Amino acid sequence: MSQDAEKVIDHLELFRGPEYTEMLANKKYMFEDPVPAEELARVNEWTKSSEYREKNFAREGLTVNPAKACQPLGAVFAALGFERTLPFVHGSQGCVAYYRSHFSRHFKEPTSAVSSSMTEDAAVFGGLANMIDGLANSFSLYKPKMIAVSTTCMAEVIGDDLNAFIKNAKEKESVPQDLDVPFAHTPAFVGSHVTGYDNALKGIIEHFWDGKAGTAPKLERQPNGKLNFIGGFDGYTVGNLREIKRLFDLMGVEYTILGDNSDVWDTPGDGLFRMYDGGTTLEDAANAIHATATISMQEFCTEKTLDVIEGHGQEVIAFNHPVGVEATDRLLMEVSRLTGKPIPAAIAKERGRLIDAIADSSAHIHGKKFALFGDPDLTLGLAGFLLELGAEPVHILSTNGGKEWKQKAEVLLAGSPFGKGCHVYPGKDLWHMRSLLFTEPVDFLIGNTYGKFLERDTKTPLIRLGFPIFDRHHHHRYPVWGYQGGLNVLVTILDKIFDHIDQNTNVVAKTDYSFDIIR
Amino acid sequence: MSTLSTKVQSVLDEPACATNQAKPDRERKKGCNKLLAPGAAAGGCAFDGAKIALQPITDVAHLVHGPINCEGHSWDGRGSKSSGPLLYRTSFTTAMTEQDIIFGGEKHLYKAIKEVVEKYNPPAVFVYQTCVPAMIGDDIEAVCKAAAAKLGKPVIPVNVPGFAGSKNLGNKLAGETLLDYVIGTEEPAETTPYDINIIGEYNLSGELWQVKPLLDELGIRILACISGDAKYHEVARSHRARAAIMVCSKAMINVARKMEERYGIPFFEGSFYGVGDMSDALRRISQLLVDRGAPAELLGRTEAVIAREEVRAWKRIAPFKKRLSGKRVLLFTGGVKSWSVVAALQETGMVIIGTSTKKSTPDDKERIRELVKDDAHMFDDLKPREMYKMLKEARADIMLSGGRTQFVALKAKMPWLDINQERHHAYAGYEGMVALVSEIDKALSNPIWEQIRRPAPWDVAAVRDQLQIHIA
Repeated sequence: MSQDAEKVIDHLELFRGPEYTEMLANKKYMFEDPVPAEELARVNEWTKSSEYREKNFAREGLTVNPAKACQPLGAVFAALGFERTLPFVHGSQGCVAYYRSHFSRHFKEPTSAVSSSMTEDAAVFGGLANMIDGLANSFSLYKPKMIAVSTTCMAEVIGDDLNAFIKNAKEKESVPQDLDVPFAHTPAFVGSHVTGYDNALKGIIEHFWDGKAGTAPKLERQPNGKLNFIGGFDGYTVGNLREIKRLFDLMGVEYTILGDNSDVWDTPGDGLFRMYDGGTTLEDAANAIHATATISMQEFCTEKTLDVIEGHGQEVIAFNHPVGVEATDRLLMEVSRLTGKPIPAAIAKERGRLIDAIADSSAHIHGKKFALFGDPDLTLGLAGFLLELGAEPVHILSTNGGKEWKQKAEVLLAGSPFGKGCHVYPGKDLWHMRSLLFTEPVDFLIGNTYGKFLERDTKTPLIRLGFPIFDRHHHHRYPVWGYQGGLNVLVTILDKIFDHIDQNTNVVAKTDYSFDIIR
Repeated sequence: MSTLSTKVQSVLDEPACATNQAKPDRERKKGCNKLLAPGAAAGGCAFDGAKIALQPITDVAHLVHGPINCEGHSWDGRGSKSSGPLLYRTSFTTAMTEQDIIFGGEKHLYKAIKEVVEKYNPPAVFVYQTCVPAMIGDDIEAVCKAAAAKLGKPVIPVNVPGFAGSKNLGNKLAGETLLDYVIGTEEPAETTPYDINIIGEYNLSGELWQVKPLLDELGIRILACISGDAKYHEVARSHRARAAIMVCSKAMINVARKMEERYGIPFFEGSFYGVGDMSDALRRISQLLVDRGAPAELLGRTEAVIAREEVRAWKRIAPFKKRLSGKRVLLFTGGVKSWSVVAALQETGMVIIGTSTKKSTPDDKERIRELVKDDAHMFDDLKPREMYKMLKEARADIMLSGGRTQFVALKAKMPWLDINQERHHAYAGYEGMVALVSEIDKALSNPIWEQIRRPAPWDVAAVRDQLQIHIA
């Protein structure tokens, strides 16, 4: 099946032609000393056994297929949520190249971030010179209004002092004295991308509220009745933040989104390249100190940030990525309580529509068993929604989840009869999940793109919800928050369930007695 | 770190590197590690370069010793295809934490190697050094040596902390690792006068497989491809090849040259892209083999295959010629592709209005000059802003590049085609050329380009007037 000008085929099909399959089979048997097929099958079966699971869970040194990323990735995410802000990562440059491609593959948008490009010399003598030159270069090249500095491991291991370095750089006039350069230490060997988000956002807030590293008077809080809202590290940030703004506008709430990434990762194709777009204005970031309260949608993304905000006298409320009716109810009731604004009829109708939709379809989800992996807050939010739908979560795993996350999840599960048989796995990776899926199978798996290897191996259909999603396009543009968001998640789950039923019943004259038009 | 810096220095001194050859002695000693400008957008690091060069070896476990950063973002990031084992797509890392930084990560690493061997039993484990363990002084060479002795398996240290330098340097250090630890450590069961190595081919989208049938037909055996669709043992036995072709000049030139030096394997630099270049590559492979003692009749058979395939290829490309002739292309890629694709596109009547030469050697540049006959078309370092301006002014009809520049093109309303690692079509060989031309044709004729360049209906003057009348 060689290429034909009339019908050129891509690699999915190309190498299935007889001449290629024969060539590849020959290569294997003639040159690769393959193990006998029976032996291969035997070991393959063994990796599915309980015995193997036990050995797998006894692993100490090795992490296989981790479902987490590093602190500076989260710091870059947080920085991009502010007006004309350039994320500047102090450390080795290769890391930054990774963050840019990681985000671009998920959001299908360019992502701007720079590095101080430390080399071996800097590792020995410290990275001060890189900071000075780097700030100067990035300021003159990319004309940012703010440069948000974070660090890679390299700078952290040698212990570079960001505060002193930035001061030094300003003295050397590499950037104007009054340029906002907030900073955060974000070593990748501690925590994960959610920790980095927290540190970076905290750095930005402290910068504006606490006197810009000693160069300006601290702000005096004068409560103004407004609300601050923090989305956290969220693969659905584009759709989610727009949905939240819509809901707040409907309610007539005055608010500030702290870290608004919805425009920078969704720029229009109108012939204009926008290196920066949208984002929280620096003025709003400073004035956010005067708000009545701050709501965070993701507790584990904002632990330290909320401490700082609370320390300035605001009430702080943290959710765990709320999805579904009850979770959205709680969110809106808090907003209503804090602002004194009632829930308008339009939103009440949306709620009714979501409940109606769940009622229409819940029979298909009720009792289905799910495995779930992802970031700590997202897994809690999705697990809550699954319980609400009458689905039964069986395994919940979070590579970057800790003890507190485990406790929270167990409390959540204990609150529902559908959570009874579920186990929670903090700090485990996707190779652990593989053993779980083989020894205690479930109907569906929920997770990010990397879950597709589990789907391939265990044949558990994967429902893609999380970050990163590299192999399906544009889902980040749809919200998963609010009642509309709940509807989107419901439909995502249902689509997979029905697709799966169809695939299971499509053999002509054998299984197609159930290949129905109406589901 | 002293061994690392010696290694880096020796790689940068590469005598076969054309850039180096052109320099005076004093300059040459400084090496070619371009100093990166802090604060400017930068590319991948040495670790990244080594990982992409070695990861196509499909049956070994690639274990990254470092914090979650390095493997977390590079896991399965390249589309290099495998004919069998899939272990290379499983992610292994020590995911170092603060504890490791304080107490040292060597024991953790040893444990991880042991667990990889126990659970997966690969023919070898490749252990990648990254910035953090390098800085705290984890001696991965010693750990690998101890692990290899204890576990009875090759455990290969790939000493490439990111701070050592650029991605390209990482490619070369990866090559050094193969030379130091893998190549020549095993003997092939049998050899033939027709055994070759292909160096610097990564089998992205299965491109190697488009070339292999031609070699198979000629009876030429790929003893090892370094490193596309390679197995550990193939690379270990590759020193018995009779000749080699090097297809990605910048990445692995040190491997080709040192194999010539150590094992007397002559090599040439060729390309599988474009009809003419593919023929040239086959011709030169055969010639080298014959020079080394293969029967001379191989040359005649090669010519016959070339003649047949060229006719076939042209016949299949011909239908596109009419549609593509005169279309202006901006090419943004590196090394060999910057000229070999030029020739290929010109074959269809397309006009190259610019090609990047950032990653090209002087030799590459000379070839481009011959082809486009104008220095103005070569960009040594086209900044995204200038690229955007060029695209915006629509001085090109299409841009061919890689993923990172994709969005610049798309935001400037410019048709775009991926010819780097994330592409979905294999463009190598006679087969691949047909695919490339067809994909360019598809990209150019996509209806969205017309749509994206048309103003919104309310922005058209006549309509605007009408609307105003209506409103009035």
